[in-house]
Amino acid sequence: MHMQDAKEVLKLRDICLRFGKAEVLRGVDLSVKQGEVVVIIGGSGSGKTSLLRCINLLNVPSSGSIVIDGETLFDLDRSGADKAGLKPAQVNRIRAQTGMVFQQFNLFPHMTALQNVMEAPVTVKRQNRQEVEKRARDLLAQMGLDQHVDKRPAQLSGGQQQRVAIARALAMDPKVMLFDEPTSALDPELVGEVLKAMVALARSGMTMMVVTHELGFALEIADRVIFIDQGLIAADGPPEQVLLHPEHPRLKQFVGRFHETADLLRPFLEGKTAAATH
Amino acid sequence: MTFDWTVVTSNAHLLWQGFLITLYYTVTTIVAGLLIGLVIGLIQLSPFRPLVWLGRLYVEFFRNIPLLVIVLWTYYALPIFLGVNITKGWAGFLALSFYVGSFYAEILRAGVQSIDPGQTDASTALGMSYGQRMRRIILPQAFRRMVPPLAGQSIIQMKNTTLLSMITVPDLLYQGSYISSFTYRPMEIYTAIGLIFVVVLVPLTLLSRKLEKAGMVTK
Ligand SMILES: Nc1ncnc2c1ncn2[C@@H]1O[C@H](COP(=O)(O)OP(=O)(O)OP(=O)(O)O)[C@@H](O)[C@H]1O
Ligand SMILES: [Mg+2]
Repeated sequence: MHMQDAKEVLKLRDICLRFGKAEVLRGVDLSVKQGEVVVIIGGSGSGKTSLLRCINLLNVPSSGSIVIDGETLFDLDRSGADKAGLKPAQVNRIRAQTGMVFQQFNLFPHMTALQNVMEAPVTVKRQNRQEVEKRARDLLAQMGLDQHVDKRPAQLSGGQQQRVAIARALAMDPKVMLFDEPTSALDPELVGEVLKAMVALARSGMTMMVVTHELGFALEIADRVIFIDQGLIAADGPPEQVLLHPEHPRLKQFVGRFHETADLLRPFLEGKTAAATH
Repeated sequence: MTFDWTVVTSNAHLLWQGFLITLYYTVTTIVAGLLIGLVIGLIQLSPFRPLVWLGRLYVEFFRNIPLLVIVLWTYYALPIFLGVNITKGWAGFLALSFYVGSFYAEILRAGVQSIDPGQTDASTALGMSYGQRMRRIILPQAFRRMVPPLAGQSIIQMKNTTLLSMITVPDLLYQGSYISSFTYRPMEIYTAIGLIFVVVLVPLTLLSRKLEKAGMVTK
């Protein structure tokens, strides 16, 4: 990869987030380059979701700064002085440059798949309806959903819903896509179709930040893996280094659990493939 | 005792006039109440604390005072406080509208708050403003859930208009007591009035059940 000279799409500096007394993020610095795929791992409650939600201000940090493609979305120093001073309309516009995919899909249940994808470009960007519809149909086709454009979310499987959600986010032409455990709510047999769509998206050059427990996916597609522990980035490096040769003690423990389950399953998996080839 | 239904048939024109008045106040106060409920409900959902409290104050005030007291107070006391003349029609209209508005506001607030916060997350993340989120995403879903309680409250509202007779607005009930006063047959008259309400409201109840079912299908 030639990431050295690619431009920065996202820059977080010293992000802190508090819920009441609880310090959930304690100073996260991170920059993501154009086309980079960053996988975020970490234990439950470590702050992964919180970090993603800070990037589009669904959670408002108590301090820190967020710059998306050169535009400052948020800038509050630890003394509380607001250096960005943005109006809500400006925040909405910059925020629309990120796309988010949620664990629970969060599709709009009163709209069809097509209407879900068309909603934001028409309502927020006021783009021409015919052009938006054409683009939305293309995106849904790209997600393998040509047959389902006129169905409502309730008529779709979890995997199909999540792919509609990806298309909905892509319709706004985001500079960076944020995925929060996009396959955790899916039945195991549906995980593959969503991961496949995400791999294709990554290969097409989309900048992505992905919170996931699918370490195989991370090894396959990530440029970097970040391990979050107690609200801080505890490890940050290429996937082989972070996942296969962890140094940080808690990261070792965390990755070890996955290796253990993989080891436990191996005989079964191998037996199964052996049986299948006979 | 035997029922003598001729007192009803021979005074049908009076009952009909009363029925029209009842219908008139039912419809107009429901419409006005919906507007009030929309405003007060949205105020209670706004991010500004003082506005929220103002909305709460309104709702608790009108929900917790007996309607009869509100009606009488609006007719007898309000004109003195404001130094203006209010006709009994206006007093009744205002009292009933403000009263039902507080219930509608609560239905709206509960309906909006019952929508999964993930819907707000998703629409916010797409760059939608507060107004766009409400108009396009939250309210259309909330309205569907609000149909049954709105219908229920509106049915109660029609029955509540009978309190207008206390300030001599010539509604169905007022006509009933008037007819009784010269026929001395209150049993027949009030039974007939009860039946009129049943005949109007039962089909409406059935209709709201249908709407509720339709809403569930599209969910
Ligand atoms: N809205 C909130 N109010 C209060 N505390 C919260 C809120 N959201 C998250 N937290 C707390 O912040 C901490 C981090 O939560 P977060 O959801 O970011 O963790 P996570 O790493 O995504 O965990 P998981 O793997 O379980 O999804 C947790 O202790 C959680 O209880
Ligand atoms: Mg999470």
